[in-house]
Amino acid sequence: MRDFNRVIRCLAYTLELLVLFMLQETPGLLPPIYGVRPVLLLPAVIAIALFEEEIPAMAFGIVGGLFCDFGLAGALGFHGAALAVLCFFISLQSRSVMQVNLATALITGAWSIGLTVCAQWFFLYYFTYSMPEYAFTHHYLPKYFYTMLFVPLLYLLNKALYQALRPAT
Amino acid sequence: MKDFFKGSSFKVLAIAVVVLLGLAAFTATAGGAFVAGLLGFVSAPMQSIATDVTGNMTEFLDLESYSKEDLQALVEQLQQERSALAQQLVDYEEKKRENEQLKQQLAIAQLEPENEMRSASVIGRDPNEVFAGFSIDKGSLSGVSEGDPVITSQGLVGVVSQVYATSSMVTCLLSEDLQVAAVSIDREESGVITSDIMTASAGLLRLNYLSSETKLEKGDIITTSGAGGAYPANIIIGEVQSVEKSENDISKYAVVKPYEDLAHVKDVQVIVSFPGKGEEAPVRPEGEEDPAKEDGE
Repeated sequence: MRDFNRVIRCLAYTLELLVLFMLQETPGLLPPIYGVRPVLLLPAVIAIALFEEEIPAMAFGIVGGLFCDFGLAGALGFHGAALAVLCFFISLQSRSVMQVNLATALITGAWSIGLTVCAQWFFLYYFTYSMPEYAFTHHYLPKYFYTMLFVPLLYLLNKALYQALRPAT
Repeated sequence: MKDFFKGSSFKVLAIAVVVLLGLAAFTATAGGAFVAGLLGFVSAPMQSIATDVTGNMTEFLDLESYSKEDLQALVEQLQQERSALAQQLVDYEEKKRENEQLKQQLAIAQLEPENEMRSASVIGRDPNEVFAGFSIDKGSLSGVSEGDPVITSQGLVGVVSQVYATSSMVTCLLSEDLQVAAVSIDREESGVITSDIMTASAGLLRLNYLSSETKLEKGDIITTSGAGGAYPANIIIGEVQSVEKSENDISKYAVVKPYEDLAHVKDVQVIVSFPGKGEEAPVRPEGEEDPAKEDGE
């Protein structure tokens, strides 16, 4: 039963990431604020990492990251590698040094999404295009705050999923 | 901490990161079309369905803003339309004629009959994309290839930058990656259409490399020049909004407002073939007239 729950949970996470990818890519679905739209996959993989062990957390970080890479049509692997490392350490942190609740999820989301958005700006924009400061303040920063709005929602969704399909003790 | 680095979990993480960075390096250099194509093959039909559902839902949700009278009028209007549509369904010839009329409305095809085009719908806009790039539901199976210009009836929109089997990525005209040889049909002055993040966020373009004595004025129409063979000539880009002095040298640049809302375009045409594709424009000796122009006169 324990393994069955685990398999179902993994399938549910995969489906969740696929649906969120569709939602974030669909034009006209999420209204743009200051010309930007949120990256739903980031809070989703972070919420999953809060509940799962290191290796599954890392695996879902890779899946979410590869979806991001594919949507952006850039080099496949950048977001995959970044989210793999982040999710691994978020999982490690949540299992060893902190309790998992809405407040810690928000704090974790704030630093990890901030780190990811800064990495996007630095590696994907700064060396390639002009006016990096303008891009940071007018694209990356609004995107960060808009994405942060979805952290509580996706935390609660994944918490419900984890509790419904938690491993039997 | 020492145990942590020796643990199997950390080794798995290290291996995964190395593999992903290798994949990133491979796709950045060699293209990695297979992996991306595989993902595209799975996601493109679902994205297409999601976009259709969103369009229908938006129409449905808009009904909430209607008053009772508006809704009654709408019902009457819909009933009338239903009768008309029923009549059209019965009469096949009528439908065929209407289809011809719709074809006639597609002015682009009539204006440039020598261009071979494919109709496509925008199925995805990535939130991480800074310059309004998008994906469309046509790929290599429909004859689309990298570098194909993408247009609407309002003018040039972008260029196909990556092609998968059933979908393609389009780099928008607002992107800093794109440079288009352009000309003013009124003044016969040429330049290069570019953009940066500041003009792109305002939905505008820059026509660079104009001389300091440029005669361009507000309202002048800018089209593609066809030089270089990357784009067909005479595709509308937009109209001049203002002419400014360049920040770096004595040249000037024009701020161009595209006729199309590039950040919200929904249906496009991909020009898969056009006369002179990939060919450099012939260099004419000084003083010799453009034969095409002579023909036109």
